[in-house]
Amino acid sequence: MARRSPLPSIPCFKMAAPPVQVQEVREVTRIERIGAHSHIRGLGLDDALEARNVSQGMVGQTSARRAAGIVLEMIKEGKIAGRAVLLAGQPGTGKTAIAMGMAQALGQGTPFTAIAGSEIFSLEMSKTEALTQAFRKSIGVRIKEETEIIEGEVVEIQIDKPAVGTGAKVGKLTLKTTEMETVYDLGQKMIESLTKEKVHAGDIITIDKATGKITKLGRSFTRARDYDAMGSTTKFVQCPEGELQKRKEVVHTVSLHEIDVINSRTQGFLALFSGDTGEIKSEVREQINSKVAEWREEGKAEIVPGVLFIDEVHMLDIECFSFLNRALETDMAPVLIMATNRGITRIRGTNYQSPHGVPIDLLDRLLIVSTSPYEEREIKQILKIRAEEEDVEISDDAVTVLTRIGMETSLRYAIQLITTAHLVCRRRKGTEVSVEDIKRVYSLFLDESRSTQFLKEYQQEFMFHEVGKCESAICCYSTANLGYLEKVNRDKTPVADILSLDSIDHRNKVHDDDDDDDLQGYFGLTIYSEAIRRRPAQPYDPGVARSKTEQGSHPLVQTLDRDETIKSHQN
Amino acid sequence: MNRVLLLTFVYKMSTAWLENLKSAQKTCLVQDDRKKIHFTFQDGTEMAEEYDINTGDLLGELRKWHKKGTLGGATKWEYEVGEDLMLAKPLLTEGLMESSSNPIFVRKDTKQTFQWRIRNLPYPIETYQVTVDAENRTITIRTSNKKYYKRFSIPDMDRIQAALKQDDLSIAYANNTLIVTYKKPKEVLDLEKAVQEELKKTKAMKDGDVECNPS
Repeated sequence: MARRSPLPSIPCFKMAAPPVQVQEVREVTRIERIGAHSHIRGLGLDDALEARNVSQGMVGQTSARRAAGIVLEMIKEGKIAGRAVLLAGQPGTGKTAIAMGMAQALGQGTPFTAIAGSEIFSLEMSKTEALTQAFRKSIGVRIKEETEIIEGEVVEIQIDKPAVGTGAKVGKLTLKTTEMETVYDLGQKMIESLTKEKVHAGDIITIDKATGKITKLGRSFTRARDYDAMGSTTKFVQCPEGELQKRKEVVHTVSLHEIDVINSRTQGFLALFSGDTGEIKSEVREQINSKVAEWREEGKAEIVPGVLFIDEVHMLDIECFSFLNRALETDMAPVLIMATNRGITRIRGTNYQSPHGVPIDLLDRLLIVSTSPYEEREIKQILKIRAEEEDVEISDDAVTVLTRIGMETSLRYAIQLITTAHLVCRRRKGTEVSVEDIKRVYSLFLDESRSTQFLKEYQQEFMFHEVGKCESAICCYSTANLGYLEKVNRDKTPVADILSLDSIDHRNKVHDDDDDDDLQGYFGLTIYSEAIRRRPAQPYDPGVARSKTEQGSHPLVQTLDRDETIKSHQN
Repeated sequence: MNRVLLLTFVYKMSTAWLENLKSAQKTCLVQDDRKKIHFTFQDGTEMAEEYDINTGDLLGELRKWHKKGTLGGATKWEYEVGEDLMLAKPLLTEGLMESSSNPIFVRKDTKQTFQWRIRNLPYPIETYQVTVDAENRTITIRTSNKKYYKRFSIPDMDRIQAALKQDDLSIAYANNTLIVTYKKPKEVLDLEKAVQEELKKTKAMKDGDVECNPS
């Protein structure tokens, strides 16, 4: 049975359904996912570009933020092109946060492209093509364009759900102006965006025909009597006049890459075989460049240099770096911001060592901004901000304990514990996350150092631990593993007997040619987690490990317990 | 005096259009008793026309445009005369489409008149009010029940910059269809004849004639 209603209503869970009624599939308003940097709204600087200690979601890192603010000013003035900044610092010191802050501070009008260094390695596209596309996505062109829009008052929205299964939804939208009325058939995508924009009967909306973008202009004056139910923020507008479809001139910013794509699509049936992306011919790019230059001279368009942010820049290889050197010199280059957490390390694709894994000649062209580890009170502040962002009520004691965990392990681990502790708290029907919840998740989820400790103790029980016998297994898990094993070696655990330093060196030499040793971390992690997952099947007593942590043999657990005792003493 | 000036202006405009057509690159094809001509103008705009060869007087059946977007790239065909007989694309790609129950606006000319047919209009003839807006060079259709409204221009009249007159306009209603008729002025008829003369010069390919250069 098709349900007739203006919009799928927000589900009401408390309502008890009569027992006989067939259960209706309800649409749940999607809970928005919270990103790791969703709390950042800017760089948190005052007018004199001095960093406020806590502002716009940013905490600490004052000198790095001030430096970023100066770069931002340069970008805003549009003076510099082809400048590059490198954010360097240990993991978890807010490099990405600063980049996100810059993006937020630049606002909507300036193109900001964020990519990760490893993103450009694709089998379908060459590295330089991917980099060129990223560059061109970061340069905007402000241009006036005539678009077709539909503008009118919503008379009725009707969405029919399929009676069974998961078929496509269909719908009808009736729009009117003072002079006419038209019914539109809606596709799946349109239904979704109408739902997302929460469009109801009586709203005045515009729909961009080319992009399908919906903008709500306000409520119709004829519905003004619903005012009380609407709240004071609702804007009332007149019902539009004349025809529903209008041509309107709008000024908008498109990136050079978008213009490339529009002009490179092969026409006719050939379009079926060539995908949207794929390589764009350099001739097309040259044509676009000269066309844009022409528009600029005629005053039709304006160039908006944007920002390209490359995270984990050490993942780029020597070819990419030499490409960057060249690309930064062209007159239409954006501002390049890079971030890395590496020290002096091998440049990918070579055997040379270099600071940050970036060749010296490129480093020479960079302004380097360094970030330093957070202090205790800064960590506390960040944890509080994150708790607020994730909608978690947390007691002051719990924050103190979390801060301690953050200091001794890592900030990221502490942030992870917020959500998990919140879930534990909800399970016991608590409203506020307490020290107990934190302690519980702390014992449930290992941090990196405890996990290492654990592996050191039970290395022998895991699969493939007999490294010497299983050459092939270890060979493909390259250096992270080897690095780990080396550490183990130094610690004089039994593994040391099996794998000598010499053999590690030997393997290193053999496998230095291929690049995949940069993937170390990932592969390393995979086998650990795999091993942990298989743990119950292993012939050892898991109770030993549990009792060890529970008894507080680990230093951090001890500190936690000590806190508790101190507190109880005070009480 | 004024009238003479106006006529020379109209003449100039019509020759400009004719020159434009002459300079365009043309491809002609006869298929299914229809003469199909494709024009590519110097600014990259494309136009396609179809004429019925059986009626003898080579009446325009279809004229559609392919205009270049501001950012380059071709837009969809825009129909000036005739209608898109292609099957509607699946909704999923479009997202939004006018429902088939809406009025459909189509231009179908006759030899002596411009004519527009608006199908799917169930209201009686008293509902409609069709007026000429001489200043904006458009014709406006209004309905007293506020269900349908349309404002359109006549590109053929715009090309020669001839003025629109209310007297030349008439309407009829039958079978859920409103028919709006506008009498073609003499200038337009002259121009159409000249264009036909010009088009006769282009050699038409027969269906199945494929340029083939075996190497």
